Amino acid sequence: MASRFAPRLLLQRLWTLRRARPTSSILVASESPADVGGGGLFSPPGPSSALDPRCVSRVFFSARPSALDERQNPAAIDYRSLMSEEEFHNLADETIHDLLEKFEEYGDAIQVDGYEVDYGNHVLTLKLGSLGTYVLNKQTPNRQIWLSSPVSGPSRFDWDVTAKTWVYRRTKAALLQLLEGEVGQLCGEPISLR
Amino acid sequence: MLRAAGRRFLRLGSEHRAPTVAVAARGYHERVVDHYDNPRNVGSFDKNDPSVGTGLVGAPACGDVMKLQIKVDDATGKIVDACFKTFGCGSAIASSSVATEWVKGKHMEEVLSIKNTEIAKHLSLPPVKLHCSMLAEDAIKAAVKDYEAKKAKLAAGNAETTQTVKVATA
Repeated sequence: MASRFAPRLLLQRLWTLRRARPTSSILVASESPADVGGGGLFSPPGPSSALDPRCVSRVFFSARPSALDERQNPAAIDYRSLMSEEEFHNLADETIHDLLEKFEEYGDAIQVDGYEVDYGNHVLTLKLGSLGTYVLNKQTPNRQIWLSSPVSGPSRFDWDVTAKTWVYRRTKAALLQLLEGEVGQLCGEPISLR
Repeated sequence: MLRAAGRRFLRLGSEHRAPTVAVAARGYHERVVDHYDNPRNVGSFDKNDPSVGTGLVGAPACGDVMKLQIKVDDATGKIVDACFKTFGCGSAIASSSVATEWVKGKHMEEVLSIKNTEIAKHLSLPPVKLHCSMLAEDAIKAAVKDYEAKKAKLAAGNAETTQTVKVATA
């Protein structure tokens, strides 16, 4: 299955590499109100074709990350150009299933009142009794994994191709490290999720 | 029409709950229902008005879109009015409604420190709905940023920089 994606991925990467030189920051904040304003209140982000150079130039990372922009305005981006839906599902499902297994094993090893791991409709729920509840789910249109943590609140993770992990752009936190740290601290026992 | 249907649905749920079965209370918090039934500040300002900042966040595909607008008094930098329009779940509507209430009368810099955790706590949002409060926080920041960008553009256009563009920190 991986071989099928390789040529497409390679092409995409070559494309983005070439485009990466004239660096454009990921979030074209100023564009968004104009984009949506034209066609009425809630016209969905236009179906700009994947071949649109503007679209492709929104690379995975900008060489000069505009941290200000990303924190300021999570504007509408056409995420479909970042990764195909099938690829996203494969990646995200793998991550979530892996976490599910590890959390189940962890639960067997430790003693936390009300510890419960639930998985349904691609949503992973980790209950830690009175310590709080984690909810992890896929946000397919954005190609993101969304996490709700009783410690750090809501976060949205994008797939970082270079680091091969899920990263929350605003804080640069990596999903697995974040969960390891928080859950380990809450439950008092270290957990390895990587 | 959707709201009326939603209201009927909510009421329907409470009437038809079987008395013998112990149902865990997983309904919306009363504050959320209140904002849903009596939303504050729904509306729209003219986005071309130079004293209006518009924050548009989210995406229909994700299920949540919030448009939050602020009207700023240019002289004092205070937000004199705010309105919102939200497409999304009850928690999203309530979060943005609360956001418009909280920004009114405050200085622009001050509202940037409104955190999603405060909104979530105020509405007792369950874990899965924390993202709605985050979106509301983002909407506030986007509105302020838009206003400042407009102001800077105008100032540049007038060929006189009356003040440096304040960079808002998250």
